[in-house]
Amino acid sequence: MRISGREGGWAGGRWEDFLCAFKRVCGMPDYAGYLRHMAERHPGTPVLNERDFFEAHVTARYANGASRCC
Amino acid sequence: MTRILWILVSLVGAAAWGVIALHRGETINAAWLVLAAVGTYLVGYRFYGRFLANRVFGLDARATPAERLSNGRDYCPTTKWVLFGHHFAAIAGAGPLVGPVLAMQFGWLPGTLWIVFGVVLGGAVQDFVILFGSMRRDGKSLGKMARDEIGPVTGLFAMVAILAIMVILLAVLALVVTNALKDSPWGIFSILCTIPIALLMGVWMRFLRPGKTIEATVAGIVLLCLALVGGRYVALSPSLAPLFTHGGLTIAWGLMVYGFIASVLPVWLLLAPRDYLSTFMKIGTIVLLAIGILIVMPPLRMPALTRFIDGTGPVFAGKLFPFAFITIACGAISGFHALVSSGTTPKMIRRERDARLIGYGGMLTESFVAIMALCAAAALDPGIYFSINAPLAALGGTVESAAAQIRQWGFTVTPEQLTALSASVGEASLLGRVGGAPSLAVGMAAIFSGVFGSHLMGLWYHFAIMFEALFILTTLDAGTRVGRFMLQDFLGHIWEPLGRTSWYPSNLLASGLITAAWGYFLVQGVLDPLGGINSLWPLFGISNQLLAAVALCVGTTLIIKAGKKRYAWVTLLPLAWLLIVTLTAGWQKIFAADPRLGFLAHARSIAEKIAAGTQDPAIGARLIWNDRLDAALAGVFMTIVVALVVASVREWTAVIRGRKPALVKETPFVESAYAN
Repeated sequence: MRISGREGGWAGGRWEDFLCAFKRVCGMPDYAGYLRHMAERHPGTPVLNERDFFEAHVTARYANGASRCC
Repeated sequence: MTRILWILVSLVGAAAWGVIALHRGETINAAWLVLAAVGTYLVGYRFYGRFLANRVFGLDARATPAERLSNGRDYCPTTKWVLFGHHFAAIAGAGPLVGPVLAMQFGWLPGTLWIVFGVVLGGAVQDFVILFGSMRRDGKSLGKMARDEIGPVTGLFAMVAILAIMVILLAVLALVVTNALKDSPWGIFSILCTIPIALLMGVWMRFLRPGKTIEATVAGIVLLCLALVGGRYVALSPSLAPLFTHGGLTIAWGLMVYGFIASVLPVWLLLAPRDYLSTFMKIGTIVLLAIGILIVMPPLRMPALTRFIDGTGPVFAGKLFPFAFITIACGAISGFHALVSSGTTPKMIRRERDARLIGYGGMLTESFVAIMALCAAAALDPGIYFSINAPLAALGGTVESAAAQIRQWGFTVTPEQLTALSASVGEASLLGRVGGAPSLAVGMAAIFSGVFGSHLMGLWYHFAIMFEALFILTTLDAGTRVGRFMLQDFLGHIWEPLGRTSWYPSNLLASGLITAAWGYFLVQGVLDPLGGINSLWPLFGISNQLLAAVALCVGTTLIIKAGKKRYAWVTLLPLAWLLIVTLTAGWQKIFAADPRLGFLAHARSIAEKIAAGTQDPAIGARLIWNDRLDAALAGVFMTIVVALVVASVREWTAVIRGRKPALVKETPFVESAYAN
């Protein structure tokens, strides 16, 4: 299996893709990317709604306090 | 064709270094520094970075943790340029901005050489090797790798070191903010506004428009700009200004209360929105500064080398060697990056080969930020630079006394110039605002004013202060949390419930202890007659470089255990240099006979003053206690690193002599499904 993997890329020059790339740079949750991931890898399983995904994302991201540099 | 291009890049870089070498004694333009630095980065990335990736690490087509463990959240494959931006935003902070500014007391040349060559041979190698190691181990942290690859005692030492370093880091960053904000109603007002703005964003993203992070952040930025403009009116208003004018001690306590409360609130309410805001601002401002420097191309007014390389400088004590290499940590090599490189980033790499751009390239970019900060500070008039960065105790309280003292140091500045400068940025006085942030802000404001016109100088100055304070406050929150989790991990071994991060009393206790620890050093720094930076910044530099030494020990172990001992010099070389620098600096800070430099000598001189009746005994006793505490801390750092190096060397010799199998604990090979 070969996957093209647009993950977070902005090669197509589309506005949605740019927003998605920007979110990932800033460490923000990327809901559209999550939906795509679920559709590709776990089709048929229930997905979180946007609010729950936001909460799950920030909890996971800052679970260890988020290593920040000086 | 590409070969011709690379020959050209190398030639341009070499020519820029040539110009720098031949221009000694005359004023040189910042453009040459930028050109020399970028040329060196490109050559370093193309040749040394590639050598590391292909020969030393052997990056290949195996599936990364992001691909194998993908969950759409923390493990998620991300395109390399996006992840590069993400990683850069995580490693860049106040460190690369402040360190080069402080080290400017030696002149611009030592800092430039250390930042550019230190990063290519040291800092970027460290970030890359740890990123590589963590990526091959499902995103394991530095502490866990130290435990698994070297031994359990080493792992424990590494954890203790990280905790102690965190405390010093938070104290020194909080001190930088305190010095930038004291007696500045404009600054305090705009920084205070960031708190309700972040809370509002948090509520917006959680309840009003769930998950709409970008619109909340854009709204937050607009509000920040309004707060910035509003600050000017607050500062000019006779009734409002006193409400927002506070001394260092009040600000220090305020920061502690903030750090404590922020670190126990839910992350979505304050930390996440703050983090988005500061990342946004950080990237925007750095890009703006780069463009500004390219447009203005300021001449460097600071000499290449000053007379203070002999160790008599007012900003901090100590000679060029080893203190230039301690003062500039981030930007050349920073141990803290090892925590980020073994944190979120390795869980997001899509293809192994992307690690070169992210690990090695990300650090080169941070080094470039340090070069820009250095240019902004070197473009200031040396007299102005020393009027802001020397402690008030040395300058005296008036512009006349400051100008006279600066003349004695061999630089010219008139009292009128000093008064005009503080008026132009909307402050009562800029004298003795040690810590680096204010002089960097003046430098940045001068560059932005060069682009947009000088009538906005005050706004740009406070913009730069807010930009620095914004992410330092985010670091206080995040750092207190990191410390809290680590402490809870330890406390859990003593009494199990204390280890539970879901138990609120335990969270409050651990957060309180961490805040008290950094708060203690912060308050002592504020009360220190020499300005606090003189003792805290070197301690921070030493501890940060020692963490880098830990990371390089782990890196060397990974390389030797992978059967590549002939390449072990790539990490051993920077490791040896760091050990020489930090152990010398640590030794001097503890034992040097000069009371300005050595902690113990300073304690003795205070004791003599008490005996002679020229020092208040109560204050004197506190100063002596702090000197001994600082000396003990430096001693602990040195002991930990020596113990770690000894343990590592024993492990290396055991593997090389064949007493131990050369086995790495990597996750087994699975081929990637991505087109490589």
